[in-house]
Amino acid sequence: MSADDESFHPLGEEWENDLEGMLDDTEYDTDLGMAMAEDAMRVTRGELSEADFHEKYHEDVLEEFGEDNRPTQEAYEKAQEEAKGTVGRMLSRFDGDGEEPRRDVMKKMGAGAAAVGLGAWATVDDGEQQAAAAQDDEDDESGAPEGGEGDVQWGMAIDLERCDGCLSCVTACSSENNLDQGVNWMYVLEFEDPGASSSTSRNRLVRPCQHCTDAPCEKVCPTTARHTRDSDGLVLTDYDVCIGCRYCQVACPYGVNYFQWDEPDISTDEIAEFHEDMDGDHMTTDDGYGSERWVDSRAPRGVMSKCTMCPTRQDGQMGDEMVGTTACEEACPPDAIQFGNMHDESSDPQTYAANPARGRTLAQINPPSADELEEELEGADDDLESVLEAADLDEEELGLMIAVQITGGDEMGDGDGDVADLENDVTEALAAIESHGLGLANQEVLAELNLADEPDLDEPADGDEEGVDVDEEEENGDDNDDDEDEDEENGDDEDDNDDDDNGFEPDEEAAQFLLEQFAGTPASNFKLLEEQGTNPNIIYLGNEPGPQAEQTEPTGSGVNYEDISYERADGESVEAVDNRKDVLDEGTVGDAGVSL
Amino acid sequence: MSTKSPTEADILRPIQNVSKLYFIMFAVAGLALGAFLVAWGYQLYQGLVVTGLSDWGSGGGVTWGLYIGAFIWWVGIAHGGIILSAAVRLLGMDRYMPVARLAELLTLAGLSAAGFYILVHMGRPDRMVTSVLGHYHITVNNSPLVWDVTVITAYFVLTATYLALTIRYDVTRLRDQLPDRFDPIYDGLTLGYSEKEDQIIDRMVWWVALAIIIMAPLLLHGGVIPWLFAVLPNYPGWFGAVQGPQFLTIALTSAISGVILLSAAFRRAYDWDHIITDDIFRGLLLWLGFFCLLFLWLQLQQLTAGSFHPTVDHGAATASKFTHPLYVIPILGVLGVLGFIFATTVRPALFTKLRAMIASVIVLTATLAEKLYFVLSGFWYPSFSIYEATPGDYFPSAIELSSLLGTIGLVVLFFLVVAKVIPVVELHAIEHLRGDHGHGHEHEHEPVEESTKQPEVEA
Repeated sequence: MSADDESFHPLGEEWENDLEGMLDDTEYDTDLGMAMAEDAMRVTRGELSEADFHEKYHEDVLEEFGEDNRPTQEAYEKAQEEAKGTVGRMLSRFDGDGEEPRRDVMKKMGAGAAAVGLGAWATVDDGEQQAAAAQDDEDDESGAPEGGEGDVQWGMAIDLERCDGCLSCVTACSSENNLDQGVNWMYVLEFEDPGASSSTSRNRLVRPCQHCTDAPCEKVCPTTARHTRDSDGLVLTDYDVCIGCRYCQVACPYGVNYFQWDEPDISTDEIAEFHEDMDGDHMTTDDGYGSERWVDSRAPRGVMSKCTMCPTRQDGQMGDEMVGTTACEEACPPDAIQFGNMHDESSDPQTYAANPARGRTLAQINPPSADELEEELEGADDDLESVLEAADLDEEELGLMIAVQITGGDEMGDGDGDVADLENDVTEALAAIESHGLGLANQEVLAELNLADEPDLDEPADGDEEGVDVDEEEENGDDNDDDEDEDEENGDDEDDNDDDDNGFEPDEEAAQFLLEQFAGTPASNFKLLEEQGTNPNIIYLGNEPGPQAEQTEPTGSGVNYEDISYERADGESVEAVDNRKDVLDEGTVGDAGVSL
Repeated sequence: MSTKSPTEADILRPIQNVSKLYFIMFAVAGLALGAFLVAWGYQLYQGLVVTGLSDWGSGGGVTWGLYIGAFIWWVGIAHGGIILSAAVRLLGMDRYMPVARLAELLTLAGLSAAGFYILVHMGRPDRMVTSVLGHYHITVNNSPLVWDVTVITAYFVLTATYLALTIRYDVTRLRDQLPDRFDPIYDGLTLGYSEKEDQIIDRMVWWVALAIIIMAPLLLHGGVIPWLFAVLPNYPGWFGAVQGPQFLTIALTSAISGVILLSAAFRRAYDWDHIITDDIFRGLLLWLGFFCLLFLWLQLQQLTAGSFHPTVDHGAATASKFTHPLYVIPILGVLGVLGFIFATTVRPALFTKLRAMIASVIVLTATLAEKLYFVLSGFWYPSFSIYEATPGDYFPSAIELSSLLGTIGLVVLFFLVVAKVIPVVELHAIEHLRGDHGHGHEHEHEPVEESTKQPEVEA
């Protein structure tokens, strides 16, 4: 379910806590009850078969209650035959056999599971459930990333301090979606913020749709045209249903909606023709319940449109390699946009937002390939200097790669996005260097790269000179570095000896420091207008616009809108416009040229 | 007070006579509506680009404008009208009985104009049935717009029922003097009538009036209409609990003004000085003053709360009110009307019918302007006010402006047509006036009047 970030139940955390409290009041195992409840929800979503659910808890239930009067083996077999259709019936068993009041049975039989079942199952009819299950299968095939719980919520991390205002994302989006002039689904603006304390970075905002988990636009829609896809949390507009009342645009606090005030400049035929080679028309796509809905590309006349986060890409219409990407993300030269599954901690946006300095470093260092390295290192000595020289790397580059690996820990390369790919590149490159003979866990080597304390003074002074060099290069960090070193030396004397013998324990703090020194840390990590309870799915890194923030005149970005253009499927080149009103005024009947 | 005695002939006069002025008015109103229909046709052909609207945000405009402002205005007039009429029936304000039906008709006309605005405002009005009704069971749980459609429809039905019930009595008794050409209509209206029902109908009407009086502040102009705006936290000028009462006062001021103008027009056209007396105008004007006072008082609440130590966004929204002519002028206008009405209570000689009409026009203009400002200022001063380089420029296009004339034409046409078919002053009012003035009752009507009063006493 896309509606809950942390809780598994669609009614949210509060309800879940109530359940938990109810279970706590009984003599039975709360954890078991909650685990069962959580898995029961997975059954409703079609992620777990009813039979597996039964089997999984059979022993626990016997142990806890001394009996398992949930569906018997017979029902389990029957359930298998009838596929998903019997879930509701199975759950009705939780109602008891008529001898005990329902509430008692609920308590006794894993109240969570029963309550969840009665609430949630009622809302999922058989057809939908099969469709949901089918959708999950499709996701698997298309390689869509799966979160911890198997649910997907597409979203972004946008590094405002990496954005250079080139507007590539704006043109890429407009081009991909064949938007009319001034329809800037993706909008980049620069602002002044008189109320802000001294800012450390540029005031810039990159503003796609926030694809809110609690989208106000969806709530107010009188038709359900504005909807959230259960399968991946994208907030979309069904162009065939929208009546054009524009209440969604009014309710959205971010101003991301664009109404199609007149006939769009490009026809659906032209769009479909352009995408002939694609597995779809870039307009309609499966809604997860087996029916096609027109939700992508520019809107037809009289209905609302906005950034879609490219559902036809996510559904595999543009090929498997495009799943998990958006046009804007692909186009961004400094990789300021990270797109991925917000429910997956190893996804690009989550890894990036969790450690922006590391994410920025990864995006910038461009590690050499392992093959390349092996070739270059052939015949070179295995000391640091020789390796660096042969591989055409400098100490900083190697240090950053190692720092990335140290800070990556066990999760290094776990995700399935660009970040993980880059992590794997780093891992492979470092492995190639290690296999050449340079011990990257060696304290001396790490110390030279500013990633560890100096070894004891009575050690050979071989690396010392280099160490001094490094210090000179990294003057800025000296003071801090020394402080950290002192802290650690206090308690680590004994360990040091061990390290020397058994391989050195990497210093994560020093690694992090190196990354931050190289890439910087963002001024803040925020979600836009979170106080309005929208639960946006975009994490921003950089300066948060305050209540007095005002866009500067003209647009003030790195590049001006009037200087850029984009190409549409009909081959026409369109000049970008930052203020759509200028375009729309041409159609106004009796435009007075004044404003109230 | 007139010395003439009101008769059936008086209330039949509009039905039995037409004048040159009638045809002129009909032609002008028809032309106004027709011109807008053509304009709307062009809008349907070209798209809403013909308006002065744009997207708020980077679109540099406002997405709701005059259409929505005028929609609220008409709904307000309509709701106020029915509240007025219900109060007359429920609270025994017999003095206003001669204008009660005018107020009810104004409700139907106002709701029609408002409903028309909903269609005009839509990008795809052709999908109203499939998209809105098709998903009604889902959207009614969330969307204030669906609540609106629901409640407006409910009120239309309620008012029409109310009117149809009270008309049966009149039409049956006046049937001989009504024109034969409308026989099918009268047959329909009086289907299955028997005198035994009079008492029951009176009770039904009383209960419907009670429902209206309860529902109006809770659901209508004190409810779902303001909630369209008041539930959106991004707009400090809209958000908050005051909008319900504020909207209700606006509805009542504009409705009373509408009834004053209508009454004056009918009185002049059909020599109804002895039916719609000066006394009624004085009374209506006092009520107008009372609701103007409430209107200003609630505005004051907002100005104070938004100025003393407001949040940044709320402060900006309120600051605009002190300077923007679209807000300042209407407020001063209403204040002036309030001052005049207060003066008439101190010095009754200051009252004239013409002045009452001017006051009404000022209030109607002021409420329309205030509504327009209300809608626009939301987009001008949102909480997320970052889009400063693309501000919400707006001026209604010629087509939008013509919608105002068109809907006023529609309402005038409605009255011109209805006045030729049914009595716009109810028979009860005539009977009542005669009773008050000591003239003889017609025997058959007496028990009916008794029963009319019964529930009022209970209330």
